[in-house]
Amino acid sequence: MGIIKVRDLIYEYIRRDEEGNVEGITTAVDDVSLDIRQGDFVAILGHNGSGKSTLAKHLNAILYPTEGTVWVDGKDTRDDAAVWDIRQTAGMVFQNPDNQIIGQVVEEDVGFGPENMGVPTREIWERVEESLKAVGMYQFRKFSPNKLSGGQKQRVSIAGVIAMHPKCIVLDEPTAMLDPKGRGEVIRAVRALNDVERITIILITHYMEEVIYADKVYVMDKGKVTLEGTPREVFSEVERLKELRLDVPQVTLLAHELRREGFPMPKGVLTNQEFVEALDRCISEAGG
Amino acid sequence: MPIILDKVSHIYGEDTAMAVMALNNISLVIPDGQFIGLIGHTGSGKSTLAQHLNGLMKATAGNIYFNGEDIDAQDFDKKMLRSKVGLVFQYPEHQLFETDVFADVCFGPKNLGLSKKEIELRAYEALKLVGLEDDYFYQSPFDLSGGQKRRVAIAGVLAMKPDVLILDEPTAGLDPKGRDEILDQIARLKRETGITVLLVSHSMDDVAKYVDRIIVMNKGSVMYDDAPREVFRHYQELEEIGLAAPQVTYIMKALRDHGYDVSDEVTTIAEAREEISNYFARFAAARKER
Amino acid sequence: MLRDITLGQYYQADSVIHRLDPRVKLGTTVLFIISLFVFQGVWGYLAAGLFLVLVIRLSTVPFKFMVKGMRSIVFLLSITVIFNLFLTPGEPVVQLWKLTITREGIELAVLLAIRLSFLIIGSSVMTLTTTPNQLTDGLEKMLRPLNKIKVPVHEIAMMMSIALRFIPILMEETDKIMKAQLARCADFDSGNLIKKAKSLVPLLVPLFISAFRRANDLAMAMEARCYRGGDHRTKMKPLHYEKRDYIAYVVVVCYLVCGIAAGRLIG
Repeated sequence: MGIIKVRDLIYEYIRRDEEGNVEGITTAVDDVSLDIRQGDFVAILGHNGSGKSTLAKHLNAILYPTEGTVWVDGKDTRDDAAVWDIRQTAGMVFQNPDNQIIGQVVEEDVGFGPENMGVPTREIWERVEESLKAVGMYQFRKFSPNKLSGGQKQRVSIAGVIAMHPKCIVLDEPTAMLDPKGRGEVIRAVRALNDVERITIILITHYMEEVIYADKVYVMDKGKVTLEGTPREVFSEVERLKELRLDVPQVTLLAHELRREGFPMPKGVLTNQEFVEALDRCISEAGG
Repeated sequence: MPIILDKVSHIYGEDTAMAVMALNNISLVIPDGQFIGLIGHTGSGKSTLAQHLNGLMKATAGNIYFNGEDIDAQDFDKKMLRSKVGLVFQYPEHQLFETDVFADVCFGPKNLGLSKKEIELRAYEALKLVGLEDDYFYQSPFDLSGGQKRRVAIAGVLAMKPDVLILDEPTAGLDPKGRDEILDQIARLKRETGITVLLVSHSMDDVAKYVDRIIVMNKGSVMYDDAPREVFRHYQELEEIGLAAPQVTYIMKALRDHGYDVSDEVTTIAEAREEISNYFARFAAARKER
Repeated sequence: MLRDITLGQYYQADSVIHRLDPRVKLGTTVLFIISLFVFQGVWGYLAAGLFLVLVIRLSTVPFKFMVKGMRSIVFLLSITVIFNLFLTPGEPVVQLWKLTITREGIELAVLLAIRLSFLIIGSSVMTLTTTPNQLTDGLEKMLRPLNKIKVPVHEIAMMMSIALRFIPILMEETDKIMKAQLARCADFDSGNLIKKAKSLVPLLVPLFISAFRRANDLAMAMEARCYRGGDHRTKMKPLHYEKRDYIAYVVVVCYLVCGIAAGRLIG
């Protein structure tokens, strides 16, 4: 069994008006099943309101299924006794860097998780040091979080999660509020954790450039998983993604447009290198 | 109503040890009717510059002239300036406060002391300009989606009928479709009203398609101020300061490096498709001759 | 730029006083304030003054920072002094129109001025040498016995430290919303009181909404990081008394004994 297994997950919430009367029921996640293997880099794509964040919050027992089951490392998230184990196993990084840093000094914030878990003082220091080093923020350990850039703050948040020694990190749009530089920093840190520490990554995003390195991509719409596969498979569906309010990387889009003009370009071109090679083949087919 | 900046500098915490030069000797002319992209990474001074243009921040040195008048002069009407140079902040939906959308949009014109009829007329026009359906007018702004809230907030500034509209990172936090919709809407309202629009952004991809002039800021100074394709020619220098040319520029660059005779002064997908098609047409013609 | 302000008035330095356990500093401050009211006569005040000078010298904080704290109470101080000066009955010294200054009045006024100044300077020494964070930690540990009578000491300390972290962020946010409304020609300054209060609505509503959103996000982030109150919790920076802290306690006790003795024997 993989690190995360989701079966037939449905999550509904009841909308109420100002007097508290029921206005209706919204199904935010509608019959989703996932299997995520230890060590994978998984991306979940979807436009705002597609249910991707709601799904993410199920993976570390912040939300509980209305129907269906979520297992994290073999434990059912609805089992009250397992909640703290699950939250430690599947750490979570949120969108707004300001609203998830608790400490007034970087190192104290990173120590917050281990403190809550009851880790002995000396080990907390070891964990804080190694976690800050893993995201390249060790030299900022004595800083106030208020003096850091957005990308740096998100790396501190990631360090705060790593210090809990999770098997899996769920990142809920960690780059949505960052500038391109900050986005790059965060994605590099996340990829390094996946490559080096073999931590399972579940990245929720709507930036296409961030998912081309993923092992598997799920695309959500209206609470359902509507597309899944490798990045190449998913990005082959340019028209479908556009319908889903999503982009494809510009290079994929250009290849797609050329194919529509009659060029024999392959589907799902992901990098500039692939694009150049594909164009070379077009030339030779044209009789070069 | 052109805006002229004459050697404008702004220093935070002047006379303290922590003084930071946010703007360094900036001279610019913003004539009527241009669509300008103001690009820079976080901390480059672009937002600070934007707040100088409507008098929210005061230059520590230099002068700013609106329609020929010094905006820091004693008798200059700041309120008039703010209504003529509309500034939409980043995440503008965070400023919404009224019980319904329409009332919120009325806030700006109401502050101008206009008649009730004129206020409502302007609010209605502004909401139409941002493409919001009538059905939403009397809903609470807090019940709308992220993209809709942002439109309401932009309408709140448009309702003052500004001659210059400045938008600070209008696409931050929106999903790709939401981003395209809001940018297309801005481009349309630019076309329809002919006002000057200044788009503050850190994304070249966002602005390349729309603007006819790009001002690149770095460390409080203007680094480039030119037509987009001229600016993107310096893509290596742009990278050094944490910015990048549009992705298409890199694709074309890769093709050139590989020996393809295509122009790398291409900034949009449509132009790139055109350029590659033309290349193939030339290639086929050459073969035929042989 | 608002984020750069330091809360409280911590003065960064590496002195003995800075390194003392916050509990020592809190306890000493309380004892010092009590001593100001217990000590009698000139010799008592001299003892307090000497003690204060010693601590200030050891803290390496420039004296002008201590005086800064005085500014806020100048008004209070002058009122107290004036009242005591004119309203204390006793042997008349100066007669000004209908007001009489008495010898007892002068004495009382001077002593009161000294007492109040010492009090303010004494507490400034503590806030200048202790970070707000250390203060909350110290308070939490000192007040732990109150847990037995169901006072949620850990929760109070946690709230204090979260408030300290978010106040600069909320101040910046206030500034931003204010500017955004100013850009819509809002007027926060003119008009009478009612009009001014009304003009704050466009500022306060967004600010509250934002504060609630942040609180909600933060609660979720804390839960996701296994926060479940003060039980089972370990500390990254636990408070331990060191040799210097015991020495400090001894010094304080000596000071108290000397002060009381001086008041009794000489004065």
